[in-house]
Amino acid sequence: MAIITISRGSYSKGKEVAEKVAARLGYECISREVLLDASDRFNIPEVRLIRAIHDAPSILDRFSHGKQAFMAYIRYALACRAQKDNLVYHGLAGHLLLMGIPHVLKVRVIANLGDRVKSEMSREKISEEEARSLILRDDQERRKWTRSLYGLDPWDSALYDLVLHIHKLTVDDAVAFICEAAKLKQFESTPETRRKMDDLVTACEVKALLADEYVDVRVACEFGNVLIYTKSGGRLQHKLQESARKLGREIKGIHHVEVHPGVPAPAQAV
Amino acid sequence: MEQLTPEMILVMAMIGVAVFLFIVEWVRVDVVAILMMVALPLLHLVTPKEAFIGLSSNAVVSIIAVIIIGAGLDRTGIINKMVKPIVRIAGNSPSRIVIAISFTVAVISSFMQNIGAAALFLPAIQRVSKSLKIPISRLLMPIGFSAILGGTLTLVGSSPLILLNDLMAPFNLKPFGLFDVTPIGLALVISGIACFVLFGKFILPKGPDAASDQQGQEDGSSPLEEIGEAYELKTPDDFTHYRDPVRIDDLRRRYLVNVVAIVEPPDFKIVNPPPDMELRSGMDLAVYGVERDVKRMAEQEGMFLKDSLQVFQNEVAESASGAVEAVVAPRSPLVGKTLRQIDLQDRFRVTPLAIYRHGEIYRAEIGDLALGVGDAILLHGTWKRLKALQGEKSLLFTTPIDVDLMRPEKAVFAGFWLATALIMIMIFKIQLSVCLMTGALGMIITKVLTIDEAYQSVDWRTIFLLAGLIPLGIATEKTGTAAWIAHAVLNTIGTVSPMVLLSIIGLLSTVFTLVVSNVGATVLLVPLVVNMAIAANADPRMAALVVGLATNNSFILPTHQVNALYMGPGRYRSVDFMKAGAVVSVVFLAVMIGIISLVYGI
Repeated sequence: MAIITISRGSYSKGKEVAEKVAARLGYECISREVLLDASDRFNIPEVRLIRAIHDAPSILDRFSHGKQAFMAYIRYALACRAQKDNLVYHGLAGHLLLMGIPHVLKVRVIANLGDRVKSEMSREKISEEEARSLILRDDQERRKWTRSLYGLDPWDSALYDLVLHIHKLTVDDAVAFICEAAKLKQFESTPETRRKMDDLVTACEVKALLADEYVDVRVACEFGNVLIYTKSGGRLQHKLQESARKLGREIKGIHHVEVHPGVPAPAQAV
Repeated sequence: MEQLTPEMILVMAMIGVAVFLFIVEWVRVDVVAILMMVALPLLHLVTPKEAFIGLSSNAVVSIIAVIIIGAGLDRTGIINKMVKPIVRIAGNSPSRIVIAISFTVAVISSFMQNIGAAALFLPAIQRVSKSLKIPISRLLMPIGFSAILGGTLTLVGSSPLILLNDLMAPFNLKPFGLFDVTPIGLALVISGIACFVLFGKFILPKGPDAASDQQGQEDGSSPLEEIGEAYELKTPDDFTHYRDPVRIDDLRRRYLVNVVAIVEPPDFKIVNPPPDMELRSGMDLAVYGVERDVKRMAEQEGMFLKDSLQVFQNEVAESASGAVEAVVAPRSPLVGKTLRQIDLQDRFRVTPLAIYRHGEIYRAEIGDLALGVGDAILLHGTWKRLKALQGEKSLLFTTPIDVDLMRPEKAVFAGFWLATALIMIMIFKIQLSVCLMTGALGMIITKVLTIDEAYQSVDWRTIFLLAGLIPLGIATEKTGTAAWIAHAVLNTIGTVSPMVLLSIIGLLSTVFTLVVSNVGATVLLVPLVVNMAIAANADPRMAALVVGLATNNSFILPTHQVNALYMGPGRYRSVDFMKAGAVVSVVFLAVMIGIISLVYGI
């Protein structure tokens, strides 16, 4: 009865760990499915979503804010999946996208650079030099991505409940640890944690529906009371208030919507 | 033309600094004035004596006295008593109500500070709006504009006019009498009201919420109704069994329901309990909230919702406590702060229920919103605590709560001393400040108000704004800067008829007053236009008078204190002021020039 997010680098055996954990606990195991959900729901080609979740935002993105909107779609899709509980997610940034949910077990799986280089060499049939530089570049890219979007370093172990280094520990050892942890009381879903999950889904949905048109909105939801934070004032604010009211009527589970202009958004806002 | 001296450049730089600071508002306007008061003698542009001469000027003393007299009249409740008969005379027609109240406000504001007159009438107008179902936006703007226009009825009606004689003194011009401006002022008030009666339909906002379509924001309703009403609930005996503690703040966050009073068994009553207080079993709660939310809370938390107020009949009833709307006053120290920073709950034990701003109601997490001028805050508390908060003067209460502080029996004395002051001015021709101070002193001696109340009523921000800008005027004149600019302007525009010159001065004053406040505009422009008029062979007194009057022509932006005050309760947006204000401003200028030429024959 938990949600497990597994963060991983390339060739770190994270996928294998995730699949085995899901099989042992009888949970659903997802990664790319989230992108497909988002692509279906919001009519965006999957390729563009992949680019959003993989590349660090370019200068251009900072103006167009396209990436922000795509991330909002992905986050909503993941939150919807997580709402059903009993889930292992090994896609990108699960620990960040489900921030603030108490019954999420956040795991990071890392592996020795040497081992990773070897796996890449054998899979892609390339030289050691090439494989090493590819892996390092990939790590760097993901680091930049999290930094630019969330201001956090994925290598900061304080972001996770469990960091497992696959070297002396085998994949099966890691699976055993994770399954053991998942059974702990603090990762059980309770009415309270489910309520928080519902609020997150609502906030994500509102944000996803607004993200296209309004660039700087952040949304928080608590007990079905939705607060939309924005920096912009004047005409746009009035329009946003209209859209917010409309969403408040359309989305189930919203009791009250308010737009708070010029107020710094709290940390839990999406 | 005279040579431009270094002193002149320095004075112009200081004017530039003052105007810049007025516009960007890094510090409050009165602080800018004090800055001038200190910087000018340091730069040797005025003597130290001249720097502080503003504090003892006729104008400043007159303003102090006018404020005290106004506070005295307010204390006796004379003005509140005037409202009822006026409304009765006006009947049910919106136009007649607008005419009657506007005219009364204008007359009162000719002897009081405009903002004071406007604030006095706000509750009455809200009542009229509610009882006669006239949208409040149709009433407030005409009445607010009349309060500003009423300032032109007498020479003590508004700060620019009070200042006028002092600013004209260095030129040895004949000072104006108290009622010299009355014919012009009367024409301005009548034309202003006529604008709204005739074109109200076109220039006033349609309804309070023509833009937003729903959410029950009916015409003229106050936040009081939109935030819901008082309900009483009881927690069951097993309320605390098997669950996390529920605190008062939790209910607010979850259901947007505000607990305003509780009774702990056996009968321990707390009004406005602290937000971190835990709810216990068998507790009675009085809450404010929307019915839907209260029902949801009762259902989800397992509370029992009573049909009517029982235990709290007395506590929540009007006699002991209640919910009132308070508006953030212009230049209030609360501007820019959040409710969380102000901490009303802790300091005054009153509960903020909602904030109303630009036609939007905020009920959730209102502690994070930074307050702005004109924001209306709905507060619940006992009358005693609300009174203490009112004493702080940072908020203007639109519901009168200081009933027992009224001294209606002193009305005769208040009237007598006002009449005495007026007779001294009109018949004995004694200097304005002396007459008004006599009236103020008389009120204090006959105990219309105590000396401490008199001191407290004085708005030091206005006093220092006036006193601090006067040396800037002196410097402009003394260094010859005013003459230099006047010549430069005249050289540019060429020879013009006095009529055109006065129109230009009127327009210039209107623009200045919108950006640098009416006092700032008057102080800067009077020396300038007097020089211009002398050079162009026009009457310099009339030029100064045009400045004194046209600096009241501040309707286009909600920068005037009265407009800022009415913006929140009237649910106006800046656009509404631009639309109606533009029309009134043009009419103001035309009527002013027309009447001046008729009465004084330019």
